[in-house]
Amino acid sequence: MIRILRDLLLFFWRDLFIARTYRAVFVVEAVEALFGSAMFYYVARFVDTPELQHSLPQGGSYFAFSLVGFVFLDYLNAALDTFDHSLEEARDSGTLEHLLVTQTSLPVFLVGSAIYPFVATTLRIVVYVAWGAALFGFPLHAANWIAVLAVLLVTLLAFSGLGILSASYLLLFKKGNPGKWFFLGVSSVTAGMLFPVGILPDWLQFVARLNPVTYALDAMRASLLGGADVAALWRSLAILILFAAALLPLSMSVFAWSLRRTKITGTLTHS
Amino acid sequence: MPQAAISVESLVKLFPPARTGWRAFLQPFEKITAVALDGLSFEVREGEALALLGANGAGKSTLLRILATLLVPTRGHALVAGHDTVRQSREVRRQLGYHAGTDHGFYPRLTARENLLFFGQLNQLSRSAAAQRISQLAEQFHLGESLNRQVRTLSTGTVQRLSLARALLHRPRVLLLDEPTRSLDAIAAAEFRRFLKTEIMRDGHTSLLFASHALPEVELLADRLAVIDAGRLLACDTISALKRTTGTSSLEDVFLRITGHDVSAVHGDPAV
Repeated sequence: MIRILRDLLLFFWRDLFIARTYRAVFVVEAVEALFGSAMFYYVARFVDTPELQHSLPQGGSYFAFSLVGFVFLDYLNAALDTFDHSLEEARDSGTLEHLLVTQTSLPVFLVGSAIYPFVATTLRIVVYVAWGAALFGFPLHAANWIAVLAVLLVTLLAFSGLGILSASYLLLFKKGNPGKWFFLGVSSVTAGMLFPVGILPDWLQFVARLNPVTYALDAMRASLLGGADVAALWRSLAILILFAAALLPLSMSVFAWSLRRTKITGTLTHS
Repeated sequence: MPQAAISVESLVKLFPPARTGWRAFLQPFEKITAVALDGLSFEVREGEALALLGANGAGKSTLLRILATLLVPTRGHALVAGHDTVRQSREVRRQLGYHAGTDHGFYPRLTARENLLFFGQLNQLSRSAAAQRISQLAEQFHLGESLNRQVRTLSTGTVQRLSLARALLHRPRVLLLDEPTRSLDAIAAAEFRRFLKTEIMRDGHTSLLFASHALPEVELLADRLAVIDAGRLLACDTISALKRTTGTSSLEDVFLRITGHDVSAVHGDPAV
C-alpha cells in the first residue's frame, strides 16, 4: 500500500515539476477565471428576474446557479479528458513504453497520471468561485464544505470510469472519442448545467433522470448554495457511488483488454 | 543446471497486415497474418552476452519488445529469469533493463536528473539510492553537466547516453539493448562498450541481449551471435565457431554467407 501511494505521489510530482516550467499558465488561468466569472455575472444581471430566481432549485441568483453549472462542467470534462490526454502525451513523447517496462502497475500509472490534472482543475474551480465571491457576490456563507468535498470525490470516482473508457478507445483507435463528446453533449443539454431540468420537455427530463451528471450537479448545488449536509444528499451520492462501482471495474477491464490487444497487434506506440 | 537468463522457445509473432484509408480504423480487430518471428528458439545464459544480427525488419526489435513485455507473442514462450513474459510480466520487468533504439522516451521539460530519479523510483529504488546511482552512472556516461539541464536542450547523443543510464539504474539482471550505440560518437560508443564489458558484464551475473548493426561492437561484446533473417533464426553460436563453419574470416562475410547473400558478388569474385 505504501509503495502504491509512493508511486502515485511520484506521478503527481512529475506533473507538478513539468507544470512548474510553464509558469505563465497559472497567471493566465487566474485571469481567465476572472473574465469567466465576470461574464456569468453580467449575463445573470441581464436575465435575472424574481420569477427566474424563484424557479431555481435553491432560489438565489442565476449567477450562482450558472457559475456552479459551468465549473462543474469543467470538472466533468477533466474526469473524461485526463486519462486519454495523459496516455496520448505518454505515447507521443515515447515515455509510454518506458513506463510500461518499469515495475509500476497499469492502474497506478493511470490513476497517478490523473492526480495532478484533478488537483489543478480543483484549484481552477476554487479560483473561479473565489473571484465570484470576492467581486460579484457569489454566496459562500451557506456552503457545507464537507458535503461539497464528498460530492466532488464521488463525482470524480463516478466519471473517472468514463475517462478510462476514453483512454481505452484511444489505445485502440488512436485519436478522438465520439462517446465522450456525445456524453458531454447530452449532459450539457439535459443535466441542468445552465438552466433547470424542469424547463425541458418530458422526454428530455426522462433522459436527465438517467444521467448521473444530473444527480451530481444537483448535489453540488444543494451543498454549495443550499448548505445541504451529506445525510440530506444520500440519494444522489448513492446513485453516483453505484455508478462508480459498476463503471470503474468495467473500465479497468476494458482498458486492460485494449492494452493487451495493442500488444498483440503491435500498435501500442502508434499514433 | 543453472537457469537460463533468457529462454525463447518456438516463438512466433504475427501482426495484422498494414491498412490504409477507412480499413485502418478496423486494424485493432484485423486478423494477424503478417509474420515477424517464425519459430525462434534460443537461450541466453547467466552472465552471457548474445548479439542479434539481422537486416532491417528481420525481427530483432520485435523479439526484444516481446522480452520487455511490450508485445504478446502469438505462439511459443519467452522466459526471463524463469518468468513467463506474458503470465508473469511484473516479475519479468523486475529483472529487466530496456533501451529502445529509436525512441528515448523522456519528459523534455524535466531535467535529466529529474527524469532519472522518476524512472529509478518507479523501479523501486529509494530516492537516495536512485540519487547515488545517478551520480555513479553520470560519471560513467559523462553526463555530469547535463544532469541539471532540461532534456529538450540536450543533444541526441547525450539523450542516448541518458537512456542507457536509465536502463542500468536499478542494476537489472537482464539487459535488453536495441542498437545501444546508434547515435553515439565514436569515443562515446567505445567508452560505452568498455563500460558494459568491464563494469556491467564483469560480475558474471548480468546477461545481455543486444541488437546491433555495428559489427565491431558485436565482435567486442558478444559471447555468441544469433543471426536472424525474416523472423527465422539461421544460426546461433560463438563468432569463432560461425567463422569456422562458414569458412570466412570476417564477421561481415559470416553474416552475408549465413543469410544467403553472395559474398563474392559483394566483394568481387577474383575468379570471374
